Amino acid sequence: MSKPSDRNAGAGSVVDVGEPIVREIHIRATPETVFEFFTDAGQLTRWLATEATLDPRPGGVCHQEHAREDGSGGSYHMRGEFVEVSPPERVVYTWGFTDPDAGVPPGSSVVDVTLTPDGDGTRLRVEHRDLPAAAIDSHAGGWTGMLERLATAVMTTAGERP
Amino acid sequence: MQAVLDAVVEPRRREILRLVRRTELPAGAIAAQFGDVSRPAISQHLRVLRDAGLLVERREGTRRLYRTRPAGLGELRAFLEEFWDTRLEALRQEAEQEQRSRDHEQTERPERRGGKRGRRG
Repeated sequence: MSKPSDRNAGAGSVVDVGEPIVREIHIRATPETVFEFFTDAGQLTRWLATEATLDPRPGGVCHQEHAREDGSGGSYHMRGEFVEVSPPERVVYTWGFTDPDAGVPPGSSVVDVTLTPDGDGTRLRVEHRDLPAAAIDSHAGGWTGMLERLATAVMTTAGERP
Repeated sequence: MQAVLDAVVEPRRREILRLVRRTELPAGAIAAQFGDVSRPAISQHLRVLRDAGLLVERREGTRRLYRTRPAGLGELRAFLEEFWDTRLEALRQEAEQEQRSRDHEQTERPERRGGKRGRRG
């Protein structure tokens, strides 16, 4: 019944929820071209956001609107800040949403993008780290916060709250 | 998802999840943390949490040990993993298309320039 992932997590130590999410892909385009897709609003809105305000320098704003996929036509508001901008090799920015239901508050997580020339293109590595689940010891956030929100939502729905 | 919601709506069940988040504990030790709740009631809570996929139960002899199951509370992580998979695939397509159009412009221009130079030269 137990899946391999369960067994790994059962190895003892710390649960793996707070581990960074890491993705690597190969793109047949130069690092310079790919880099712009993170720092140029016109390019960013081709793949990630519906609208963007970007000031790609350390401390500059990285604001993105992401479409909600619940059919409401609404947006999630990502309010981040660039931490490192080193074209065409690396761009780092904070990642979080002002919408509480997104589960990732502004400034709470970091997206670290590295680009390396690789054959006919670029090896792109995206690491999304410091996700709230890593901070589950804090009573205000992480799992505890999510559980409280779930509980509140259920109780509100069930009419058990005044 | 409804099972998860039903499971976490009870405060003591949330307390249990916190208790065994990092440490696997036998049912007895968990029950000992709740002086005001009967052992059968705690067993019932553990069953509900296990059935909702929030707890992993392991038997060791006659003891049952419990710990929080990460995947049960990993919806945010699962969401983000799928989010990045989808978005990066879109990025790949767009960036490759962009590169093709840039390469196309570059191969067109030097040819034209080269041709003119050739005629002049």
